[in-house]
Amino acid sequence: MTTEKHKALRIALISGKGGVGKSVITLNLAAALSSLGRKTLAVDADLGLASLDVILDISPQSTIFDALHRGSPLDEALIHTTKGFDLLPAGSGLPEGTMVTQALAESVEAGFSSLEDRYDIFLLDAGAGIGDVVLFFANLAHEILLVVTPEPTSVMDAYATIKILHQNYGRSEFLLVVNQADPDRSDQVGASIAGHLRNVISRYLESDPPVRLELIGSIPRDPAIPRAVRHRQLLVETDPKAPAIGGIARMADFLEKRISKSFGI
Amino acid sequence: MYSNSSDDRKLDLSSALRILENAGRPDPRLASDDPDVQLQKIIDTLCDLSIHDGLTGLVNATFFHAVLTREIERSLRTRRTCGLIVVDIDHFKNVNDTYGHIAGDKAIQAFASELKSSLRSMDTAARIGGEEFAAILPECEPEDAINAATRIHSVLNPVTVSVEGESLKLTTSAGLVWTNPNFSVTSTALLSEADQEMYRSKRTGRGRLCYRYGDATQISDDERSALLDRSLEEDSDDH
Repeated sequence: MTTEKHKALRIALISGKGGVGKSVITLNLAAALSSLGRKTLAVDADLGLASLDVILDISPQSTIFDALHRGSPLDEALIHTTKGFDLLPAGSGLPEGTMVTQALAESVEAGFSSLEDRYDIFLLDAGAGIGDVVLFFANLAHEILLVVTPEPTSVMDAYATIKILHQNYGRSEFLLVVNQADPDRSDQVGASIAGHLRNVISRYLESDPPVRLELIGSIPRDPAIPRAVRHRQLLVETDPKAPAIGGIARMADFLEKRISKSFGI
Repeated sequence: MYSNSSDDRKLDLSSALRILENAGRPDPRLASDDPDVQLQKIIDTLCDLSIHDGLTGLVNATFFHAVLTREIERSLRTRRTCGLIVVDIDHFKNVNDTYGHIAGDKAIQAFASELKSSLRSMDTAARIGGEEFAAILPECEPEDAINAATRIHSVLNPVTVSVEGESLKLTTSAGLVWTNPNFSVTSTALLSEADQEMYRSKRTGRGRLCYRYGDATQISDDERSALLDRSLEEDSDDH
């Protein structure tokens, strides 16, 4: 029955290819949205192979995986970070985290519903690949944000991910961020990749309604990012003037407006 | 007691008549005075009851397996794929728990009616479980099966049922598979594959149609060439 009441906008960050910067973008975007006054929850949706807590230099006592498998409330795993947003950390080294059972799916849905009135936005950092867990979280999200880099492998994987989500799950709306773009012309690179993907989509994924791909940001390749990760801090903490921060801020502005538009809050 | 006038053999039809009565069917003896016509009517009605689901009028699970087995054999013979879609009403337990079983039955009947209306005459719709339905789509290439299943699924999403003055919008999760005309498969195995796809739909948010990866979603050579077009690399390379 359609009784679902959306109070928090759920955004799933996915890419197909690994190593494109999803987790770093998730956390820095969470901080940027928090600074705009939006109550933000970052969810490590790579259930068995955590990364967000590692980047934030946090050692969780309990994880989303523990809570789901014990059937206890997700609150038990919730961490109020010092960065202005909350975190639901994942487990590490848990092969079971690659499987979605019916019970797990229902627990996640119930858990998210129970947290929804406390937040404006959930950022779901899904793992790499197109496994069941990634597709499950993508489908649980209101918006799917694809993270790509200019690498041909990344573009190919992003397209394959779009194709699967469109053909098998009926998703037609996708957001796009181009990461690690040439710093001298990051906006042009972003527009070029978005245009290229749109061309291939319009040629091979004909549908009604058509697949829409909206570019919401280009983040320049920036040595400050790996530096911040090595220090296990956010970019805004280690290098507040880093060029990449501008790209993340523009994404945050876009999503901030999307929250208002979607839920009138 | 039925007495056949031609050879005076006696048949005890009381059990058959009781079954028909319990199934709410009219007494066949009232249809005609001719004992042969009466007997034929009893046989026809019993046959009808044995292959159809009483609530929806769709084919029942037993007959469904017989039809599916026949269609799988035909697929092997004609080298044409046969599609199988399984649909299950989402959150159906909530309907029964909240509004009672009469409302639940009404919902099932509404789904059955919509499902049947969305099929071709050569397709077979069945009720194979409480709130689970299936449709056999013979002579469907994978692409045709996907199109048909997409259409069927859109008809069933949602189905609006009016209960106690409320309009309930019920969704379905669906799974689609098709036969490989080069390999034999049992009806049970094919149904199990379709069920797995349907459960994947449940797990990934419900109200969706899932079908096999591979054939449908694999990147084609043309797509690959288009994606790896060199002009992109020139555009995005460092300068």
